[in-house]
Amino acid sequence: MAVAVFRFALLLLLWVAIAGAAPADLPVGAAGSAIGAWASLRLIPPARITPRPAALAMLVLRFPWQALRAGVEVASIALDPRRRAAPATIAWTPRLPPGPARDAFLAYASLLPGTLPAGEMPGGAIAIHALDGSTDVAAAMTLEETRFTRAFGLDG
Amino acid sequence: MSLLANGFTIVAVLAGLVFFVAGTAGLLRFPDTSSRLHALTKADHLGLGLIVLGLLPQVGGVGEAARLLAIWALVMLSSAAVGPMIARLTRGQEGAE
Repeated sequence: MAVAVFRFALLLLLWVAIAGAAPADLPVGAAGSAIGAWASLRLIPPARITPRPAALAMLVLRFPWQALRAGVEVASIALDPRRRAAPATIAWTPRLPPGPARDAFLAYASLLPGTLPAGEMPGGAIAIHALDGSTDVAAAMTLEETRFTRAFGLDG
Repeated sequence: MSLLANGFTIVAVLAGLVFFVAGTAGLLRFPDTSSRLHALTKADHLGLGLIVLGLLPQVGGVGEAARLLAIWALVMLSSAAVGPMIARLTRGQEGAE
């Protein structure tokens, strides 16, 4: 119940941020937030995560830098006529077991420089599409996975 | 002070536009669907982020700033969710050709 109230409050906060806090609009926002909270409980059941504040702060603070690196990398390949994309799909084996935590990490990894998860391969590996196949994508993914699991306390 | 803020807005929004142009160039130039997704997500996120950052000094209050940041967050959330899905679907198709 506490989780449901918490998610409802977060969604309502998002609603107010986007639509404003006019009293006439609030019932619509409250109804939308209630449906959203219900759907989120169905789709993402509450999990026991114990975030580590310092590691989580590092992850959040690094993100703008990662976004900058990712954007600059793509832009330089796209705009420099002498450079061509040399994409490659590599198999990478995650340490996180299948489940919401792994899905969350893969969604996060799609925002990181050079990597785009592209579904499971036979045998349990994850296909990672890399814009530049010459870099060690698997090592980078494992490093990011370690940072991610540490930040959310998923490594137990 | 407002000169400084306006200058920051102009520089940041122009830089953001450069990344939108780069994302579009990537969409046209890159060889396969997944590479184009890299262009559309990563370059455009940075472009949108810089435009949002550039507009922050011009907003009237905390509410408008929160709205801009929420739009940026929603765009990143949706492309983080949809990007890998499209990549997964096209990997099967392009591999089969």
